[in-house]
Amino acid sequence: MQSRFYLSLLLISSLVLLTFVAIATYSALTPEWKQYQTEYKDFLIKNAKDEATRERAEKIDIGIQQIYLTSMKKADRCTSCHRGVENPLMANAEQPHRQHSGNYLENHPVAKFGCTICHRGQGQAMNLREAHGEEHTHWDFPIMPIKYIQSSCALCHDFEMLKHEGGGHVAKGEEFFRGKGCRGCHKLNGVGGDLGKALDGIGSRARAYFPMKHVVGDRTIYNWVKQHFDDPRQIVPESEMRAFLTGEESDLLTTYVLTFTSEQMPRNYMLIKNIVMPRTDGESLYKMYCIACHSDGKASIYDEILKRTIPAIMNPSFLKAIDDNYLKKILKEGRQGTQMTAWKVDAAGLTEQEIDRIIEYIAKDRPAAKTEPFDVAKFKADVKRGEELFNIRCALCHGKKGEGDLGLNLKNPVVQAADPAFLAVTVRDGRAGTPMPPFGKDGVGLIEQDIADIVSYVKTLSQKKL
Amino acid sequence: MNDMNDIKQTGLAKYIENLKSLKSSFANSFLRSGIPTSDKSRTAVVVNNFFLHLHGAKTHINTLRPSYTLGLGLISFFLLVIVFISGGFLMVYYSPSIGTAFNAVKDINFVVFGGKLMRNVHKWSGEAMIIFVLLHMARVVYTSSYKRGREFNWVIGIMLLVLTFVINLTGYMLPWDQLSYWALVIVSNIAAAPKELTDIFGITQYFDIGGATKEILLGGTEPGQDSLTRVYLLHIILLPLGICIALGVHFWRIRKDGGLSKPDTLVGKGSGVASISPPDKTGGIFPTHKTYGLMELARGRTPAVDNDVENTVTSWPHLFIAEVAVFILTLAGVIAYSYFIDAPLKEFANPAIPENPAKAPWYFLGLQELVSYSAFMGGQGLPGLAIAGLLLIPYLDREPEHFGIWFSNKQGKMVALESFVIGSIAVIGALVFVVNFGWFRNWWPNIHQLWIIAINPGNLLLGFVVAYSLYVIKRTGSTRMGAISLFTMFLVSYVILTYTGTVLRGPNWEFFWSSSQWPVH
Repeated sequence: MQSRFYLSLLLISSLVLLTFVAIATYSALTPEWKQYQTEYKDFLIKNAKDEATRERAEKIDIGIQQIYLTSMKKADRCTSCHRGVENPLMANAEQPHRQHSGNYLENHPVAKFGCTICHRGQGQAMNLREAHGEEHTHWDFPIMPIKYIQSSCALCHDFEMLKHEGGGHVAKGEEFFRGKGCRGCHKLNGVGGDLGKALDGIGSRARAYFPMKHVVGDRTIYNWVKQHFDDPRQIVPESEMRAFLTGEESDLLTTYVLTFTSEQMPRNYMLIKNIVMPRTDGESLYKMYCIACHSDGKASIYDEILKRTIPAIMNPSFLKAIDDNYLKKILKEGRQGTQMTAWKVDAAGLTEQEIDRIIEYIAKDRPAAKTEPFDVAKFKADVKRGEELFNIRCALCHGKKGEGDLGLNLKNPVVQAADPAFLAVTVRDGRAGTPMPPFGKDGVGLIEQDIADIVSYVKTLSQKKL
Repeated sequence: MNDMNDIKQTGLAKYIENLKSLKSSFANSFLRSGIPTSDKSRTAVVVNNFFLHLHGAKTHINTLRPSYTLGLGLISFFLLVIVFISGGFLMVYYSPSIGTAFNAVKDINFVVFGGKLMRNVHKWSGEAMIIFVLLHMARVVYTSSYKRGREFNWVIGIMLLVLTFVINLTGYMLPWDQLSYWALVIVSNIAAAPKELTDIFGITQYFDIGGATKEILLGGTEPGQDSLTRVYLLHIILLPLGICIALGVHFWRIRKDGGLSKPDTLVGKGSGVASISPPDKTGGIFPTHKTYGLMELARGRTPAVDNDVENTVTSWPHLFIAEVAVFILTLAGVIAYSYFIDAPLKEFANPAIPENPAKAPWYFLGLQELVSYSAFMGGQGLPGLAIAGLLLIPYLDREPEHFGIWFSNKQGKMVALESFVIGSIAVIGALVFVVNFGWFRNWWPNIHQLWIIAINPGNLLLGFVVAYSLYVIKRTGSTRMGAISLFTMFLVSYVILTYTGTVLRGPNWEFFWSSSQWPVH
C-alpha cells in the first residue's frame, strides 16, 4: 500500500533541502566581515602589552559596525571590515586592518564623517566586491583612487585653505582649470561656452552617463575623466576638445573636476576659512574663457581639430583695424558659422562688465595711432579687374575660389558680412603676426583703386561654387 | 467547611488530571479522531480537518500517477505558498517609498540575516510560478482535462495565469532600481497603446482610453511615488487576494468535478501506475461498486462522481505523502536555485538615464517583441486575442472521447509534434524576415500607421496559427486535434518570442546573437 516512488522522492528532496539549508545557514553565519573581525580581535589579544589591554581586547564584540550619518541619511558599514581604522597599533597591518594614514582622522572623526564621504564606495554593502563598487556591481561610485582623493576635501573646504593645508593637488587642479580656458567650451553654473558639455555635477554622475567604450582599465568615471584629458579623441572619437595636460598634470585637473558634485554637503560638515571672490580682472577672465582657442592671441593659428584659422585677436594690426564697439559686438553675439560663442548674459552668460574687462585686456596693446581710414565708397569698383588681381595676388594663399588654404576661407560668412572698409584696410595694411602681408603703398604697392576692386570681388565669392 | 474542602480537592484534582492528559487531548482536539489506524479513521481525519478536507477522503490512483499530472499544479500552488511566506518576511523590512525602497532592498541583501536568500527565494519562486502555471496548463490541455464540467475551471485557470503575470510584474517594480523604473515606463506605455488607434481616428482628445489607463496605473503621467504606492497596493493586497479567491474556487471546483481528470478505463496497470500499488480491497468502509454520495442532496455532480471505487486509495497517507514530497521537492529546488543565483538589483532609478535596451521583465519580452512591430497590437490586441483563444478552447472542443489521456491518441501525438515543428518554423521564419528585411515602416517611411496595425508580423503569425489549427480540424475531422494544434503553437510562439526578446534583442532593439556582442556604451 505504500508508495515507494513518493517516499523516495520525499527522502531525496528532504536531503537536498537540508543540505542547502545547511549550506545557506553556514554561509549566512560566516560572512567575510566576521572573519576579518576575528582576525583583528585575535591580533589585539596576541599583541596586548598588559593584562588590562588584553581584557579589553577580549571583550570586543564581533558584529556589524555601522556609522549612521544623520544629516545625509547614509549608513557606512565599512568599519565592519576595517575595524582597526582608528587603532594606532594597526599602523603597519595589512588591509583591511590597517590604521588610516596621516592625521586626517584627528579632525575628521570616523564617528562623524564615516568613510564614503571622502572615499566613496558603497557604504551599505557588507562584502568587498560590492562595498568597493567594483565593475558589474551596479554601483556608480566605486572607491576613489588615492591620487584623486583630494577632490573630496574640496566638498567642504575652500581652495585657499587647501593650498596651504594639505590640499595642494586639488588646489593646483583648480588653478589649471582657471588658466586653461575650460569654460570657453564648458558651462559651469550657467556660465561658459556651449561647444562642450556642461560640467555641473559631473563628479557625481552615474557611470552610464559616460561613454565607457574606449576607457582602458576599470570603467569608472575617474578613469574616464583622466583618460579623456590625456587624449580626448581616444575616449570620445568625435570630441573637439584640446589635450593641454597629460600625465600627472591631468591627474590634478581630474582631481579638481571630480569636485563638481550635484549635492551640497550639509552645513555641519562645511569648513570655509577664506571667502575667495572669483577673479574678475580682464586677464583672469581671458584665461578662463578665451585662452583655450585664442592662446596668447599674438599669432593666428590653423586649428587641426576645429578645421579653421583662429584669428590673432591681440595682434596690434588686428586691433588697429577694429574698434572696441565692433569687438564688443562680436564678443556678445559670437560669430555665426564659426566656433566663436555668443558671450552675452543670456547666452554664454558673461555680464556686460566682464565683457568690457575682457575687451580692455585684449585691446591693451592697440597702437596709439589710428588706422588711416579707407573710404571705399569713393572708388567705383570693377569686379572683373578685381578678379584678375585676386588671381595674381591672393589666390596663392586664399585659394582660387577663396576657399582658403594657408590664408582664411574668404567665402566664410564672417568675411562676407564684414564691412568693406575693414576688408580694404586689412588688404592695404596686412595683418602683422600672420602671413598676410600689407598690399598697400607701404608694402606690395597696390594703389587704392586696386584694393577697392579686390574687395568688391571678394564680396562676390560667396556665390562661387567650388 | 469540610464540604468546601472536598469540592476544592476535587476541583484541583480535575485540574491536574486535565494537565496530565493535555498532550492526548490536544492531539484529539486537533485531529478530532486521533492518529488514524483504520480506513475509517483515515477517512475521518480527512473529513474532520479544514485543510485536509480540501481533498477527498479517497483518491483515485490515476491522480497519484506521477507521469499523469507531473505534479505541475501542485508545484505551482506550493510555489505560491513559498512566495507568500517569503513575501511576508520581506514586507517586514521593505518600505514603499521611492526615497527608502531601494535602500531597504539593499539592506535586505546586506544586513538582514538570511535576507538575500529570502529575496532570491521570493523572486525566483514567483517567476517559476509563471513557468509552472504554463506547464500545468499544457498538461491540462494535452490530457483533455478541460472537459466534462471542467470548462469553467479552465477559465478560472486562465484568470490565475493572468494574475500570476501581473503579480510578478508589480513585484518587479518594488525595488525602485533602474530595472523597475524602466520596466514601469515600458509597461505604462503598453497600457497607453490604444492611443495608437485613437490617434489614427483623431478621437484621442475626446476618448483617450490609453492615456487614462496609463494615468491610473502611474498615478500621474510619469513614474513616481504615486506609481510605487499603487503598484505596492496591487502587489501585496489586491492581487494576492484575487489569487486566493480564484485559487479557492479552482480547488473547490476540482472537488465538485470529482477530483482530477482520469481516463474512463485505467489502461495498463503495469506502466505509469506501477509506483502505486493497487488498493487492498478486503475490509474498509467502501464496499466495491458502491458510491457513497456524501452530498446526495446537491444537484449535479458530486465529489465522488465517476469514481471507479475499486481504483481508489485512502488519501491519508497516499495522497498526503505525495503532496508533502512535491512540496519538499519544490522548496529544495527553489532554495538550491536561490543559493546559486541572485535576484538582480541595479542602480537606483534614474529618469535621466534610460536603460538601453529598456526591457520589461523577461516573461513579457515576447510581447515587447510584438510591441516593436505595433504598440497596440503587440501590447494589447494580440495578447487579448491569445487569451480569448485560450478561453474558448473548452467551448469549441467538446469531443468527449479520449478524456484523461495524454495527447488523446497516436494521432494527437503526431498533431502535437507537427504543430510544434510548423509553429517553430513559422515564428522563426517571421523573426528572420523581420530582422533581415524590416517591415512596412522601413520600406515606406510615410505609410499610414493603420496599415501596420492591420498587417504586421504578429498579426500574420496569429492568423497563421488560427488558420493552421482550423486546417487541422478539417483534415482530421476532430476539434480535439485543433485544440492540441492551437495550444502547441501558442506555447511555441510564447517561448520563441520570449527567448528572442530576452537574449537576441540588444540596444535599440537590434538583433544580436548574444548580449556579449552588445556594443559597449
